[in-house]
Amino acid sequence: MAIKLGGEFEVKRSPEEVYDFLTDAHKFAPLLPDFRSISVTDGSHFTVQLNVGISYIKGTADVRMVLAESERPKRAQYQGQGSLPGGNLSILAGFDLAFVDGGTRVAWQGEAQVFGRLASSAGGLLEPLAKKNVQKLIDGLRAALAQAV
Amino acid sequence: MEVEKKNWVGRALPRKEENRLLRGRGKFTDDIKLREMLYLHFVRSPFAHARIASLDTSAAENLPGVICTLSGGELAPQTQPFIEIGPEPFAKIKDYPLAVGKVRYQGEPVAAVVGESPAIAEDGSELVRVEYEPLTVVVDAEEALEGKSLLHEEAGTNQVWRGVFEYGDVEKALREAAYEVRIDRLHFHRFSSTPLENNVIIAEWNSKDDRIYYSCNNSFPSFAIQFLAAHLRVPIDRIRVETFDIGGSFGIKITSYPQMAVCALASRKAGGRPIKWVETRSEHLTSSAHGNERTFRDTRVALDERGVITAITSRHIDDCGAYPRYEPLGCVIWSQVFPGVYRFRNARIDFMQAVTNKCPVGPNRGYSRMQHLWFLERVIDICAHQLGIAPEEMRLRNYIRPDEFPYTTPNGCVYDSGNYPAMLEVAKRRIGWEEWKEKQATARNQGRLMGIGIGTTLDSGTNNFGQSQIVNPGLPYSGNSQGANCKLDIYGEVVVAVGSCPQGQGHETTAAQVVADVLNIHPDMVTVRTGFDTERNVHTGFSGTYASQFAVSGLSAVHGAAQKLRAEMKRLGAFALQSHEDDLEFGVGAQGPEVRAKGSGKPISYWGLANLVNANSAALPPELYDVTLNCRYVWRAPFQVPDQQKKYGNLTLTYASQLHIAVVEVDRDTFLPHILDYVAVDDCGTVIHPPIVEGQVFGATAHGIGAVFLENCVYDAVGNMLTSTFSDYTPITAMNMPNIKYDHIETPSPHSYSGAKGMGEGGAAPVHTLSAALQDALFAQGVIIDDSFNNADRLYRALVKREIGQGKELVKVEKRR
Repeated sequence: MAIKLGGEFEVKRSPEEVYDFLTDAHKFAPLLPDFRSISVTDGSHFTVQLNVGISYIKGTADVRMVLAESERPKRAQYQGQGSLPGGNLSILAGFDLAFVDGGTRVAWQGEAQVFGRLASSAGGLLEPLAKKNVQKLIDGLRAALAQAV
Repeated sequence: MEVEKKNWVGRALPRKEENRLLRGRGKFTDDIKLREMLYLHFVRSPFAHARIASLDTSAAENLPGVICTLSGGELAPQTQPFIEIGPEPFAKIKDYPLAVGKVRYQGEPVAAVVGESPAIAEDGSELVRVEYEPLTVVVDAEEALEGKSLLHEEAGTNQVWRGVFEYGDVEKALREAAYEVRIDRLHFHRFSSTPLENNVIIAEWNSKDDRIYYSCNNSFPSFAIQFLAAHLRVPIDRIRVETFDIGGSFGIKITSYPQMAVCALASRKAGGRPIKWVETRSEHLTSSAHGNERTFRDTRVALDERGVITAITSRHIDDCGAYPRYEPLGCVIWSQVFPGVYRFRNARIDFMQAVTNKCPVGPNRGYSRMQHLWFLERVIDICAHQLGIAPEEMRLRNYIRPDEFPYTTPNGCVYDSGNYPAMLEVAKRRIGWEEWKEKQATARNQGRLMGIGIGTTLDSGTNNFGQSQIVNPGLPYSGNSQGANCKLDIYGEVVVAVGSCPQGQGHETTAAQVVADVLNIHPDMVTVRTGFDTERNVHTGFSGTYASQFAVSGLSAVHGAAQKLRAEMKRLGAFALQSHEDDLEFGVGAQGPEVRAKGSGKPISYWGLANLVNANSAALPPELYDVTLNCRYVWRAPFQVPDQQKKYGNLTLTYASQLHIAVVEVDRDTFLPHILDYVAVDDCGTVIHPPIVEGQVFGATAHGIGAVFLENCVYDAVGNMLTSTFSDYTPITAMNMPNIKYDHIETPSPHSYSGAKGMGEGGAAPVHTLSAALQDALFAQGVIIDDSFNNADRLYRALVKREIGQGKELVKVEKRR
């Protein structure tokens, strides 16, 4: 079950500042919805633990993230693989940055692929939940970027 | 007790099972609790196709209460891959009950955890860590045949089997046709059965006698033990299987032998403690077995000026899911009903089967034949509408005529008896055909979408297993047989044991009816031991309950055993009463069942006869030493081995038939289809027990209606099954059932001793009938019913969005003269 989302927003920060924020796992990961903890392996690899709660399916998800594409200050793309109660998921999250007057336009694309019992049992709930969580991430990102970087 | 001298067969007696089952006193496998019993939970793959990079069970094993775990890697060296029924190259695949190296469908078991309680086992299973490397998923059989992503690399192909079934002169018939109708694609969807009771297994690999004891609800145990013995590397006699009451199977429980293997191996690892596994509903829906999905491509139909079909050619692609298991038997079983109920003699079907990343299929009520019968009924109906011939008239012009029975089909099957025009007449009368035609005309004038559809179908029963040699000439199976034992026990009780495992078919009742007729006693005087038990020694290699055959194979065995017992009782009675065997009669006297001399009226009770053999044997003369009053009889069907090259031979012994008519209206606002009226007419030859037959017809009708409107195994592009709970799969319930009018005719079979034909699967008649009714409702809208699943969403997509079922794209008609 593939869920694809995308959009764009603008922040009053330079592309370099935005890029540095997005590629800093310690800054970026806590913005993920239901974030619990992070374990950084190296500059481009880290594992986040997230709370998961979809109807009666509750637990934690361990998601291994890798900064798969990085071109400062234009583009950053994360790929993630994780297991969670009742299934597995893969994540693709890309950010294309462009200078605009006084700030940066962030065009983002997200794709989540869910496998297993979670998709089978709660498939109908996943898309609205994904939209809600992605919106939370984007809102968090904008708020964080609006503050001190 | 005076017993009326009248045949018990054919009478609507109270079912012997009812008292037990309706009072909640049935004995089901999950009712069994054993000392030191452990519980097993499967760890299942979330991926439809992936390599297993690593599997770590250590955390699970450290959980208090977890006794042991099993993985595919651990199990493989201890066992042999399951026997493959098909030929090379697919015979090379390695099918284990736990995935080894890679997973091939979502829900495939990759490990098992054994705990002191079901909850501990389940908790333990969540601690098993499996790393997967996803592979390309293929969920469409036609795409699978392209071979871009192989499921079983060792086979080198995704094609399980392919064969061309050709009879007559197809090209000549096409050349000479007045009309040729071409249908691009038809599709029979994937659905399953939802028995009240899921699979349940208790296995104990006893360390003292090194035997494996199973209590389970497998519905074809004699088949299962053949697979298990080879897989577990044990002599088959070391496996004991018992079944008890079973809450439905519909064929789906035939293929539970992989789980049976895991439970036995887990028991051995746990020191011989018994292991119980109770399947959850989601497990059942995602990973027990589904019915076969089939796509019909490039169909060409030749017809004469009157709409009589003279030839059909087509390509059929069957989707058997990730592992063949019972397949590729389905690649030939459909040909039991090759021409359906129709007379065409020229046909060529190019049949192929592919594996996909979906749950393996298994026999499902109407197995393999219903897909083909639906195809034929769609062909008849589409041709009728395209040529402007009334569908009922189209059928009458094409039906095999009553005077042609026994009818030999182009592929050599012998239809024993039938009268399809008479069934049509009965059905039309019962539904009020003319009145509905008038109502339909009125409704159409009002812009309503109302259709009337006919489905004529066959329920072929008692297989010739020789057909398996058509798919694989190396297989050692042919014919069919069933065993039964009939005895007088030490105190003279009549006890019958059969090798079947009924799941609601009333075997206790019908077996008692047959024996009561032979011995001229009341059926209540007959005790019937149902449920399979290898230790009773009444089974043969074909024993079980499947394929609409008990009325023929099972009851013929019971009848034969009762006749043998009667003959022995006569010999004993003649000695005891100092009479001639021909002067004896059977009946019930003041002290119960007895044999008596006609002239003197002097009787000997059954206890007296049994006593002579079992407890007072010194009084017996040597010429009666061979009398045991314990008579085993094996009934064998009179089959020949089919011609493997020509794919020709009699594949089934009896052909029950069904004719249903439905009146359907599609709501113009919601697109929900509503059944306004429905009649089911059945012909299963001599009816042994009318309410049981009627119940089977109702059950099969419900199953079919559910299949058309509600039940569909939906997969997404990456192989997630999206209908894994009853919230999404929505099986039919009493709330969705219309009132069914039922009637029957009887054309006794010349192929069974009683004239009965096997029945119960019902040929999926509602699937054909409702497709035809929808076709009638929507043809004027340019819609062709090209799929067997038709819920409101599909009808909306056909009628409004014009995405599917568009007649101009699907069907072409060429008029030659």
